Amino acid sequence: MKLSRRSFLVGGSAGVLAALASPRLISARGLLTDPALDDVIKRALSAATKAGASYADVRIVRRRNEGLQTREDRIESISSTEEYGIGVRVIAGGAWGFAATPAVTVGEGERIARRAVAIAKANASQLKRPVVLAPVPPNVDVWQTALIKDPFKIPLEDKAELLLAINREAMKVKGVKFVSARYAGNAEWKLFASTDGAYLEQEIVRLAPGYSVTAVDDKRGEFETRAHTLAPMQAGWEYVEQSSLLADARMIAEQAVEKLKAPSVTPGKRDLILDPSNLWLTIHESIGHPTELDRAMGYEANYAGTSFATTDKLGKLRIGTPILTFYADKTTPGGLATCGYDDDGVATQRWNLVDKGVFVGYQTTREQAAWIGEKASRGTSYADSYASFPFQRMPNISLAPAAKERSIDDLIAATEDGIVIVGNGSWSIDQQRFNFQFGGQAFWEVKHGKKTRMLRDVAYQANTLEFWSACDQIGGPSSWQLGGAMTDGKGEPAQSNAVSHGCPPARFKKINILSTNQRAAQASDRKGGQ
Amino acid sequence: MQTAAQAQRLLDRVLMLAKSAKGAVATASLRGTDGGNTRFAVNEITSSGDVERLSLSVTVQFGLRSATASTNQLDDRSIDDVVARATRMARLAPENVEELPPLARQRYAAVKAARDSKTAELTPAERAKAAAAVIQAGDATKVQIAGFYEHAAETFALASTEGLWAHHAWTSCALSCTARTPDGTGSGWAGASSNRAGDLDAAAMAKAAVDKAVASARPRKLAPGRYTVVLEPAAVASMTLVLAAQLGARRAEEGRSFFAKPGGGTRIGDKLFPETITLRSDPTDTALTTPPFDGDGVPLAPTRWIDKGSLRALSYGRYWAKKQGKPVTGTPAGWILEGGTATRDELIKGVKRGVLVTHLFYIRMLDPQGILLTGLTRDGTFLIENGAIVAPVMNFRFNESPVHMLARCDGLTATTVVEGMRAPALRTHDFNLASLSEAV
Repeated sequence: MKLSRRSFLVGGSAGVLAALASPRLISARGLLTDPALDDVIKRALSAATKAGASYADVRIVRRRNEGLQTREDRIESISSTEEYGIGVRVIAGGAWGFAATPAVTVGEGERIARRAVAIAKANASQLKRPVVLAPVPPNVDVWQTALIKDPFKIPLEDKAELLLAINREAMKVKGVKFVSARYAGNAEWKLFASTDGAYLEQEIVRLAPGYSVTAVDDKRGEFETRAHTLAPMQAGWEYVEQSSLLADARMIAEQAVEKLKAPSVTPGKRDLILDPSNLWLTIHESIGHPTELDRAMGYEANYAGTSFATTDKLGKLRIGTPILTFYADKTTPGGLATCGYDDDGVATQRWNLVDKGVFVGYQTTREQAAWIGEKASRGTSYADSYASFPFQRMPNISLAPAAKERSIDDLIAATEDGIVIVGNGSWSIDQQRFNFQFGGQAFWEVKHGKKTRMLRDVAYQANTLEFWSACDQIGGPSSWQLGGAMTDGKGEPAQSNAVSHGCPPARFKKINILSTNQRAAQASDRKGGQ
Repeated sequence: MQTAAQAQRLLDRVLMLAKSAKGAVATASLRGTDGGNTRFAVNEITSSGDVERLSLSVTVQFGLRSATASTNQLDDRSIDDVVARATRMARLAPENVEELPPLARQRYAAVKAARDSKTAELTPAERAKAAAAVIQAGDATKVQIAGFYEHAAETFALASTEGLWAHHAWTSCALSCTARTPDGTGSGWAGASSNRAGDLDAAAMAKAAVDKAVASARPRKLAPGRYTVVLEPAAVASMTLVLAAQLGARRAEEGRSFFAKPGGGTRIGDKLFPETITLRSDPTDTALTTPPFDGDGVPLAPTRWIDKGSLRALSYGRYWAKKQGKPVTGTPAGWILEGGTATRDELIKGVKRGVLVTHLFYIRMLDPQGILLTGLTRDGTFLIENGAIVAPVMNFRFNESPVHMLARCDGLTATTVVEGMRAPALRTHDFNLASLSEAV
């Protein structure tokens, strides 16, 4: 593959900045840009500066998605999508402006750059505090997902056969009526350059295989589903090959059937043991979102909400027990949000959000660092498309394991009366991240240190601070696992972010357990309306 | 933005290319969006953009084998590539017994004046002016204001090698705002959407949000439990849309839906709700900003799904309709829960003790069997006693089904367009406000 040398001029607020010349640092799969793009970028930045921008950045982004959806013995859909385009973001008159087009040409780049400046100027009239960006070194680099087998090069037949083999295995179990296996892969290639001297090329590859099995009792008119809990990952196809997806199909199907026959949970306060496949999402909702600085400052008030973790509580608020340290890390291997540089051109890093139970840090961007008196951004800016405005998005946020080895079986053995929850069911949390309610995929009763029987209809409801203050045991290093979401929503217009959360299993004392059983109420509804 | 004639020429070319593979039939679509948005928070504009998007999608079929590829690039090389990708993948795809050939020519309901040129041509300065009207309402009352204004001109064209041709052009816009009192104890929301920017009154919306924020400050704690509630249109819409999404025939006939009958069959014909409840879809209602055909090109006819309290119809996709010998309905769009004649204050007057709910948040399915949902009240929750609002109350998490909401409904107002549907405010009983939320 050809190495390309870059040499281009960028215009900055102080006029024309020094030329940047950088040989391609590595040459690798897919990471070769059309040299004509240098010209598009240079001219767009120059057009923005000439039109009056004090800062501008350009992102040229190509996204590829591949998806297969199956049910039982057939493929429901196979799709391959590609999206390419250019977005220019500027600051003019202290305000942001942004414009984007799918036409990546010199002329279009210049046009949207001028458009972005015009928008910024229109917004400047409704500005009380001009945007100020924290300084950043002029990073020039290439970064890509560490992988062995490019999932986009794996034959479609192999993917289809794996999914159909899963379905066949699951359908062998008596009582199973439906099974739906799916695969989604995406590759996000982007070239970022700014008037502050950044020139960054990155490619991120993520994949998300999975399936769910439905057991139906026709006579009673009841059904239950059980989904596999393999985490989506930034990885190559080897991740799928090495997984237990197929090997687990029969067990997952048997659990769907067992769940349908299981007794409904009795509501009340019980000890809760959460598997990492369930706990990651609770961390996402109750620690991840509240520590987004824009939320805490009111920037998301009209949509996602605000936060209990306001700036006056930084360094003071006790969120949970001293065994809990949560850290943000956009460098976690395999993490869905992992990359070399964020969409402000800032190198990614790891830092603590909650240290030994105390709230100590926020997620920030270049615009936000000064809001809390920090000198540098934490590097969490992200836009989900060429056509999206980059803003603060969640990095991978994880719970550090205990120093001593301890497994989920050890947690169970130490519990008199509790419930174990595996996988994610429904989830919901309020707009300041206090009151949450989560379900799961599979639930087992624990009595006298042993898993006894499966339960159904389980949900746990708690207040974030009470919940983490009830955490009295967590697993050790070997029990730590990543979970994650491919489509976390935030912002208006809504943008999607892929993010992972690592954690060990954990135990929580005396948590409010609800029953979601509506079958009695439904039977009465069936008797007719009012 | 492509005109209808340009879209037709482009899709014809794509279909010609696809057809050149022996045995291939194909469907192609072109979607285009030219839009702009302005976002504001903490009483200033925070971000804003003008964005052009398009998507050319091609589904190639060889008998029972099929695959879809898409791109947003319209140069010759990209068009060749997208057709080649779909063709290659379709050849490799396993056979799907449910695959059907592309649709031939269809007749679609006429939708008049779906595209409003003023909305299409809205400028950043006009958006900033609307944002300014909202921000000024916040500044004047020392209330913190956040909100979002967006508009777009959209087109959707579909064609097939079998003669299908569908094209629709429309505009859409939405404005919403959230006001919060400086002490952080009060919050109010207002919002609306339409196909015409002229329908959105920024100043009136700002006033409604600010008034609610001020009135909801320093809420008292009300014990969780089952209450009579008056739900404003945004709350009704977000519950009803989940119910509407469950109206598929296939899941019901497969026994995995609320609308399935134990022992087999569906609940069509069952009287599930009071006479006053009619849920219908109407793609010719331009404010609901939907084409009169679904993504497959199936014509969407105005349909009463729940009519005067009875389940009248479930939706059938092409394959399931053929298998069951039923007419194809396509995937319905343009939802309307019919309203009544009461005003919101009249609904409140009829409440001895209950709760007024403005808005709901983070709604998730707890149990699909009963369409049991969880979520939270937000941005203006009030105690009603003896027919009057007496005090703001803390927000609740609810665990409730839209089925119960409609089954116990005894009063409806006229409808407004919010959350993408036409919905009234309504009064209902025994609504399960399950736990308290400290969130404001």
